[in-house]
Amino acid sequence: MYRTTASRLRALKGCAGNRVLTRFASSSAVATSSSSGGFFSWLTGERSSSLSPLDFPLKGVTLPPPLPDYVEPGKTKITTLPNGVKIASETSVNPAASIGLYVDCGSIYETPVSFGTTHLLERMAFKSTTNRSHLRIVREVEAIGGNVTASASREQMGYTYDALKTYVPEMVELLIDCVRNPAFLDWEVNEQLQKVKAEIGEASNNPQALLLEALHSAGYSGALANPLLAPESAINRLNSTILEEFVAENYTAPQMVLAASGVEHEKLLKIAEPLLFDLPSVPRTEQPKSVYVGGDYRCQADSGVTHFALAFEAPGGWLKEKEAMTLTVLQMLMGGGGSFSAGGPGKGMYSRLYLRVLNEYPQIQSFSAFNSIYNNTGIFGIQATTSSDFVSKAIDIAVKELIAAATPGEVDQVQLDRAKQSTKSAILMNLESRMVASEDIGRQILTYGERKPVDHFLKAVDEVTLKDVTSISQKLISSPLTMASYGDVIYVPSYDTVSSKFHSQ
Amino acid sequence: MAIRHLLTLARRSQKPSPALTQAIRSLSTAPAVATSSSPPSPPPPNAMVYDRFAEAVKNKLKQLENPDPRFLKYNSPHPTLTDHTSILTSPLTRVTTLPSGLRVATESDLAAKTATVGVWIDAGSRFETDETNGTAHFLEHMIFKGTERRTARELEEEIENMGGHLNAYTSREQTTYYAKVMDKDVTRALDILADILQNSKFDENRITRERDVILREMEEVEGQTEEVIFDHLHATAFQYTPLGRTILGPAQNIKTITKNHLRDYISKHYTAPRMVIAASGAVKHEDIVEQVKKLFSKLSTDPTTTSQLVAKEPAIFTGSEVRIIDDDIPLAQFAVAFNGASWTDPDSIALMVMQTLLGSWNKNAGGGKHVGSELAQRVGINEIAESMMAFNTNYKDTGLFGVYAVAKPDCLDDLAWAIMYEISKLCYRVSEADVTRARNQLKSSLLLHIDGTSPVAEDIGRQLLTYGRRIPFAELFARIDAVDASTVKRVANRFIFDRDVAIAAMGPVQGLPDYNWFRRRTYWLRY
Repeated sequence: MYRTTASRLRALKGCAGNRVLTRFASSSAVATSSSSGGFFSWLTGERSSSLSPLDFPLKGVTLPPPLPDYVEPGKTKITTLPNGVKIASETSVNPAASIGLYVDCGSIYETPVSFGTTHLLERMAFKSTTNRSHLRIVREVEAIGGNVTASASREQMGYTYDALKTYVPEMVELLIDCVRNPAFLDWEVNEQLQKVKAEIGEASNNPQALLLEALHSAGYSGALANPLLAPESAINRLNSTILEEFVAENYTAPQMVLAASGVEHEKLLKIAEPLLFDLPSVPRTEQPKSVYVGGDYRCQADSGVTHFALAFEAPGGWLKEKEAMTLTVLQMLMGGGGSFSAGGPGKGMYSRLYLRVLNEYPQIQSFSAFNSIYNNTGIFGIQATTSSDFVSKAIDIAVKELIAAATPGEVDQVQLDRAKQSTKSAILMNLESRMVASEDIGRQILTYGERKPVDHFLKAVDEVTLKDVTSISQKLISSPLTMASYGDVIYVPSYDTVSSKFHSQ
Repeated sequence: MAIRHLLTLARRSQKPSPALTQAIRSLSTAPAVATSSSPPSPPPPNAMVYDRFAEAVKNKLKQLENPDPRFLKYNSPHPTLTDHTSILTSPLTRVTTLPSGLRVATESDLAAKTATVGVWIDAGSRFETDETNGTAHFLEHMIFKGTERRTARELEEEIENMGGHLNAYTSREQTTYYAKVMDKDVTRALDILADILQNSKFDENRITRERDVILREMEEVEGQTEEVIFDHLHATAFQYTPLGRTILGPAQNIKTITKNHLRDYISKHYTAPRMVIAASGAVKHEDIVEQVKKLFSKLSTDPTTTSQLVAKEPAIFTGSEVRIIDDDIPLAQFAVAFNGASWTDPDSIALMVMQTLLGSWNKNAGGGKHVGSELAQRVGINEIAESMMAFNTNYKDTGLFGVYAVAKPDCLDDLAWAIMYEISKLCYRVSEADVTRARNQLKSSLLLHIDGTSPVAEDIGRQLLTYGRRIPFAELFARIDAVDASTVKRVANRFIFDRDVAIAAMGPVQGLPDYNWFRRRTYWLRY
């Protein structure tokens, strides 16, 4: 193919050879010990291996027979152990497997003494256990070339391991050991505490996340108001004892799900059961209650721009599927994004907020609908960044858009169909990935106790009508407003002014 | 020897039987809570507070003394060679070359409900001239701006209504346009791709408007220091050759590129023999071939190949450096690179293994100072960098191999030493265990990356352009397994030993050693 380049390279190699010759005259002792292609050829700088260039097939490789084009997609199989741990898996044709251990535990289970524990637990994941040191864990993961990650949210913790299918036993063993038997050595905890503090210090670099955090602390009273990103004063209280107590209390058998994508169920059971069967089977901790109350949060910061968010309660949460799916469609329908963002068509350029807001007002840097849904409740709203003198106008626009969504006849069928289609394709495209698939298995089982087939959700999306969208929007804006702003907040109108705009009609 | 034997005996005798351990284990997990509040052996009344702390720590360490064999059955921290043949089966990659020279390649997964189709083109900023530098990227923007059949608006709405994504990227040697859609929309996606590639209008007004967008994108890119460093690195390493130019092009060119430049570039470089249509997911090979035959009929069939173009204007590596001193930025960053291998060079696989050997590290990664890469250990233990990453980029006739790092200004000399020491060490001392680990990591990362239809289509398209075929994973693994410590040393001698380096540095970099210091550290004078 690229003969010319190849010949040029060969010429180059020739001169490299000479150099090697002169140099290695003095280092033959090293050479003889480990040369594979014969010492002489190596000394003269010839290739120690006679591999063909990459554009020509390598001789002597036996290729495994190809898979057929259609392989029946695997069904999710779930087994519940006597102590309550659930083990779920589905097969796939992908050569890699993704395994996750999901725990029904998060910042909502924290008490004032343990604020920040989930965040610290996320950082303490895959550190020393009572059976292996941190060094050993790191090297074991590297030895098979896998990836381990941990994530903490308000309601669920996830520990995942992604590696080649050949290594499933290794993956399961390490994953379970790290979640079950953490040692929480004091020096490791202290090191991670420093990093958590540094992370909190950098939080102001991400105003969007900061606002979402603020919406929860202002909007809810009770468990969901617990900070996911705890203040430094709370972090200072944390130590290994608090971590141990928290884990002992919350990482119980009925709260755990081991989910795998790309593993056969029998095989997974055989390896995982002996490691999980003796987890204490205590009745699971009651999920703490949260009440949505609404509220206001402002934080002045030097930035020249203002970030703000308006949010309302979406009642029901994941457990009321119909509402949850309508809400997801509504978010797609309103859409939005940044005024300058990369990517071609397909990023929601014809969503309502894009067409009606971002294309009209150059002062607005970003404007988008968001939702965060929990088991029994959720919030939905609009998040935006504008130049600070435009903020009161921008809030008016946000109010107008939220009211418009709740007015019958405002949203047309074309927009809804587009949003429904985008929601469906987003679900399917995300599930292409084995990592997303395994996470989906784990989180669905924690929420619903079963894995619903994807068609079930696609059907639910199909069933969303214009009336559903209007009625859920009306329900939304009839709940108390939660407002949060960050940056130059002096021009942000008062809470009562904004709130009254929703209830005046 | 005898002592060691005794030691193992002693250790073994300490270990209780599995049944016993279990009892101990369940005991130690539950009352782990209790240990701190009421330690099992209460300290004497006259104990000081630090005695109690010491007691607590001792209790904690005691937990570590009896590892449970149940949890230590499968894993080993020592990397070993594993046979992966059983998992390396994948659906067939079918390739058809049409009479025009256009190649169509697919990998079907008919159980999928989504698909990715795209056009991979053997063209990029490398094939421009100084006057037209930026055209390839400009074209990537303009191609979504309307054809004779569709206005830009219609095109966008069509894609959005089917819930698809249309995307494009330009690099120095490749340009890609691809669509990710649902299974039933594959035909339409192909139609759109064929339409925008063959019938784009390049409306003058649109061109004028797009200039501002690209200039704004340029500002964004200039904010991403990593991109800027690598642009400077290319500019200095491949000075006075086509690879030295940036992808976006100078602002002057963006302001002056005309419709003719774009048309010219298309007819010269978007030719059938230099294009690959790749598809994966819910697609059938025969269907795609049929449609492509019908839809892509207007492509130029200019027989000029890229290897001819490359031979005419080869990229030549020049040992050199560029430093941009800016004391207002808190962190300094630099990249140091050697001339690397071309795509097809048999040693390019060894360079990939070497890249993995050097590894990458950042302050927040979980591995900390325990990672296997010795360079990462040096960086982590001495805290001399915020992040570090080895890189290995291939081009048609050359490549770049080196390390990029970000650090506080007062660590630069130590960091530069650590980097150069570890790179040149590859010529002298490489352990078989480290190579095995790197091989395992490389194999995994290559396969783990293929997750979804888009990475598959991307893999097919890129490999057909660079290798002229898709390398089966079994062969790729065999090639990786052929790399051992002696191969690494040989390849290091070819690319690193006493070779010129190219350096690009930005920020508060006064503390970075000078060029000759780096050049001197490409070899050792002791063994």
